[in-house]
Amino acid sequence: MRRGWLFVTTLERPSTDLVDRVVERLRGVLRPDQILTSKTDRYNRARVPAPFPVHRWRERVPDLAVLPETTEEVAAVVSIANELRCPVVPRDGGTGLTDGAVPLHGGIVVDVKRMNRIHELDLENRTVTVGTGINMLKLNEQLAKHGLIYPDDPASYPCSLVGGRIGTSGWSLIGSRYGHTRDLVLSFDFVLPTGEILHVGDGAGGKISKSSSGYQLKHLFMGHQGTLGIATKATLKLYPKPEAELSPFWAFDDYDAAYRFTGALARAGVATFAGAVLFDEYKVAYLRRDDEAYIPQPADVRALTCAVLYGWEDEVRVGGKRLFRIAKEHGARYLGDEISEGDWAARHDRYATPLHGRTKAGQVVPMSWHCEDAAVNYTDVPAVTKAWHEIVADLRRKTDVFDDWGMFAYTSADTGVDYLTEIDVGIWEQRLDDAAWAMWVKAKRDIAAAALAHGGSISACHGSCREGEVDLVPRELGRGFDVMLGVKRMLDPNNIMNPGKYLLDLAYQGDVSAQLAELRGPS
Amino acid sequence: MSYRYSAENTPPTPERASEVAITTHEHVYEVDPRLMELHVLQQTFPNWDTLRIMHARHDHLAWMHTHFAEKTVTGSELIAEIEDSR
Repeated sequence: MRRGWLFVTTLERPSTDLVDRVVERLRGVLRPDQILTSKTDRYNRARVPAPFPVHRWRERVPDLAVLPETTEEVAAVVSIANELRCPVVPRDGGTGLTDGAVPLHGGIVVDVKRMNRIHELDLENRTVTVGTGINMLKLNEQLAKHGLIYPDDPASYPCSLVGGRIGTSGWSLIGSRYGHTRDLVLSFDFVLPTGEILHVGDGAGGKISKSSSGYQLKHLFMGHQGTLGIATKATLKLYPKPEAELSPFWAFDDYDAAYRFTGALARAGVATFAGAVLFDEYKVAYLRRDDEAYIPQPADVRALTCAVLYGWEDEVRVGGKRLFRIAKEHGARYLGDEISEGDWAARHDRYATPLHGRTKAGQVVPMSWHCEDAAVNYTDVPAVTKAWHEIVADLRRKTDVFDDWGMFAYTSADTGVDYLTEIDVGIWEQRLDDAAWAMWVKAKRDIAAAALAHGGSISACHGSCREGEVDLVPRELGRGFDVMLGVKRMLDPNNIMNPGKYLLDLAYQGDVSAQLAELRGPS
Repeated sequence: MSYRYSAENTPPTPERASEVAITTHEHVYEVDPRLMELHVLQQTFPNWDTLRIMHARHDHLAWMHTHFAEKTVTGSELIAEIEDSR
């Protein structure tokens, strides 16, 4: 069975007999209501929001799902799966955009949603220890009673879970102020593919933010898309809940001016600066179709920049005034309080928006949202933006299945060094047949190649293990990809943990140097 | 809510907001019906439901602000403070 480009899988779906034996053994470690085998339970855990040809949904359905409630139950499930050689796929919120939570070879989906307890709130050390099935919004409702916040803020904030943020090493909208998931998670309990339990953090600590003892294993067990195991309990860093928020939006009559202004904001060194977002001309044109804030904007509004500041009110006012002075120097036009506040509040929840696109003739069609992302230095953002729009324009010329919804560039750090660049593409999923899917996979590969050609990384946020971009991971990581294969083989000797992802099946195929050389292409 | 069924199901006369959008109720924008004739057809909404959805959206956004911070500082306040300090 071929998947992707050179990638030959080593594992097929479990037989019915094997599934029956797995279920029988699981009955010894879980209650009946924790083992789900119905069609509805399985189909509901087969997909994530990333588009996929609907007619191939069946390929991704697990054989069963389980709902463990403790680390020990997760370990028992994984141990049985490893003994019987049955695939295991960890699933948290299922909101990721690179298919980490999607089974490619059936098996057991380990759904962690019942592990959603707050185990300990340490007000003196400012930490909270939680089950990884907890959602950040629900956690912050509890923390607000103590004047605290866990500031991990993805676009899926109301529906993603802490464990998924660890498995994807997530990116946060306000990460320029508070850091991203890797900075906010201090330590966690982790079930390895053999069923052994490991605690990783800085050193051996549960609540240590900086250690120089031994290898730094925490990062290894984040962002692996469920290929190395399952995080079950995590200790998180807490901050005072901000007293004040400021989220101004400014308009420009051309992209270049907005780009220069965004860079100036990010480089200003304002301590409460939590992020800036650049909207390009394609994004503004898209918003003019359907967004109540932008339909009435005058025609000379062609690009936008927004910034957001969080902190004590006196700090936010001083920092905000500095940003407004920079805005005046750059000829920015403030869009007003209503749009600024409304649009920023909507950014915390991009998954709840009903979506539709347009055919080339202008007719409305139902479309799902997909975004390709990359990490790119500030100086390369315009070139990558241009290259990506050309790739999507080529798709659009060929078919109405795809629609260019424009691009954002988000600051990733407090110095403005690099940006999460994102192109949003509407996809008419019901029309996504094999031919259109092949076009999309090629476009994804071209999009990733453009990011690499400009010195970037394939993904700042989503991960890079879907068809298309995954072919370029060995090129991006170089020798580091060989290390990934070695780590995978050592920790998961039977390839049961989320098999088929990240080209890691190559770890079990002997000498793959020729395949890797071809994937990497000419040096 | 209106007393008569017909009143609740008759939206205000639409006004053109752009080449692709119209307005009906104040602050309520809709896709131009001419663009929803083939693949997705427009649905009929009673007035109360249209306004409920709009107000619910505003409630949601206001809730989200207070979820992340105790209060919101507005840009217009800061612009006024900058101008006053000159």
